[in-house]
Amino acid sequence: MSRRGRTAINLVAILAGLAVLWEAYRAFALATGNMWPGTDVALPVAVRGSGNAQQFPHVWEPVLALGRPYRGGGETLGAFLLGQVGYTLREVLAGFVLGSLLGFLLGTLFAHSRLAERSLMPYVIASQTVPFIAFAPILVVGFNSLESFPRWSGVAALSMYLVFFPMTVNTLRGLRSAPATAEELMRSYAASWWTRLWKLRVPAAVPYLFVGMKIGATAAVVGAIVGELSAPSSQGLGAAIFSFGRVSNNSVQLFATTLVAGLVGIASFSTVALLERAVLRAYAGAGPAR
Amino acid sequence: MTSPEEAAVTVEAGPPVVAAAEPTVAVRHVTRTFGEVTALSDVSLDVAPGSFVSLIGPSGCGKSTLLRVIADLLEPSSGEVVVAGKTPHRARTDRDYGMVFQKATLFDWRTVRRNVELPLELMGWDRTRRRARADEMLALVELTDFAKHRPAQLSGGMQQRVAIARALAFSPKLLLMDEPFGALDEITRERLNLELLDIWTKTRTTVVFVTHSIPEAVFLSTDVVVMSPRPGRVLRRIPVDLPRPRDTGTRELDRYFELVTEVRETLRGAGLL
Ligand SMILES: Nc1ncnc2c1ncn2[C@@H]1O[C@H](COP(=O)(O)OP(=O)(O)OP(=O)(O)O)[C@@H](O)[C@H]1O
Ligand SMILES: [Mg+2]
Repeated sequence: MSRRGRTAINLVAILAGLAVLWEAYRAFALATGNMWPGTDVALPVAVRGSGNAQQFPHVWEPVLALGRPYRGGGETLGAFLLGQVGYTLREVLAGFVLGSLLGFLLGTLFAHSRLAERSLMPYVIASQTVPFIAFAPILVVGFNSLESFPRWSGVAALSMYLVFFPMTVNTLRGLRSAPATAEELMRSYAASWWTRLWKLRVPAAVPYLFVGMKIGATAAVVGAIVGELSAPSSQGLGAAIFSFGRVSNNSVQLFATTLVAGLVGIASFSTVALLERAVLRAYAGAGPAR
Repeated sequence: MTSPEEAAVTVEAGPPVVAAAEPTVAVRHVTRTFGEVTALSDVSLDVAPGSFVSLIGPSGCGKSTLLRVIADLLEPSSGEVVVAGKTPHRARTDRDYGMVFQKATLFDWRTVRRNVELPLELMGWDRTRRRARADEMLALVELTDFAKHRPAQLSGGMQQRVAIARALAFSPKLLLMDEPFGALDEITRERLNLELLDIWTKTRTTVVFVTHSIPEAVFLSTDVVVMSPRPGRVLRRIPVDLPRPRDTGTRELDRYFELVTEVRETLRGAGLL
């Protein structure tokens, strides 16, 4: 069987296994009344919460909910979420592109100058050790108070903040990945720093740039959703998660939204991965061993 | 290559010159240390224009270091080097030499042809000229059919031939080769030896060639320079008076065996074998 066929079967098997586990837990919790049998210890998640609200639906319920109107009547949940995806993707795209660019520039600067690396890298690392959830609201609200920026730019900034770091690190690694003899060869031609960068280091770095961008592609989605969640906003997937989770407390719609958010993350990653495959194929065998 | 005009100019401009032509490479009392390690100790060596000089010696005796000093990839700790009548730095920026390493060091993302074009690109040649020249060089190393291949699709010997084509593409006066065939099997190596001699005869480039193989050094060279173990110095310079053109028959001549023995004895005399 083809490799792709096996991958597909594996995927279906894993999803089916998870669905079975989910349903088994649900049936178990229903049968025992949310208690470990023979004890008075509660199970970690109750199938029904206070006021009998369903918080552990059948696996298929969130999927079915996508096709139904999400409040009273009119627009289906799926159509509504699609609109939110559009809004969020704009932030993701802006954050991803700007973050990748910033990361590439910083990585190149650090590759150019040890001094710059030594003096700035600690701050770059420190910026990532601060829990970003803590200052996400500050960043988003701060940005939004700037009149000249559109409302979504604060969230895009948070997204960019998560993207630039893996890109910086991988760019730096990639630019240093050319073998020493290749560097000597370029020196023997008396090639300038720019020439060495464009003719040797950047091409040698391409596989690493894609590693950085693949990490960035998922980080950009996380950043955008958390950004929307952490600052009161009315649009985007994060806002939908907030409203279904905290406001209307509708777990079926919450799960459906989470599912869609997951798909957006996968799509974002896959887009970069597909691009990577096309580019590396043109490279014919370049890059780290795969 | 030192053209007759250049030689004449030197004679007119400078003080009276005794030798017929100034050496393409002149190494004078060069010492190079790396921290505690002395890699080269008071090495002097002249390489006449058009000659083929092999450096042979035990591992770690400073052969690569000497080549790098000539190529201005390393500075000597003391002593002086003159390449093509200039400082090594000037020779490098003037692209007076081409270099071939043990590893072919081709760029995977370029086709074979574009690899050969690389130095020409850096020298600002236009596309059509570059292309024509690269094809000419690929014909010289008999790889015309592989112009559009990627380096990864070629055997080790073929990759090394591309590296030689690249090094010679801009017709440098001097070719520096650091164990170019060291990683190849014996059969390929002998074939490439013949090919290299052919190219050398056609281009009249001066060659400095590092090798671990005594037969290879004797077969190729006009002079074999035997170096001592660290700290590296020149033990002996053995002129190779084998007839040219050299071919497979050369390896069966009595004189060939005598010279191989002489190099081997020199190495043994220094306690190296
Ligand atoms: N960049 C460097 N830094 C420190 N030591 C070095 C460096 N380059 C060479 N050396 C040392 O100098 C000595 C000579 O090295 P070199 O590479 O010139 O030897 P070689 O004759 O080319 O050996 P081989 O035949 O194994 O290639 C060695 O002891 C090596 O450890
Ligand atoms: Mg060496």
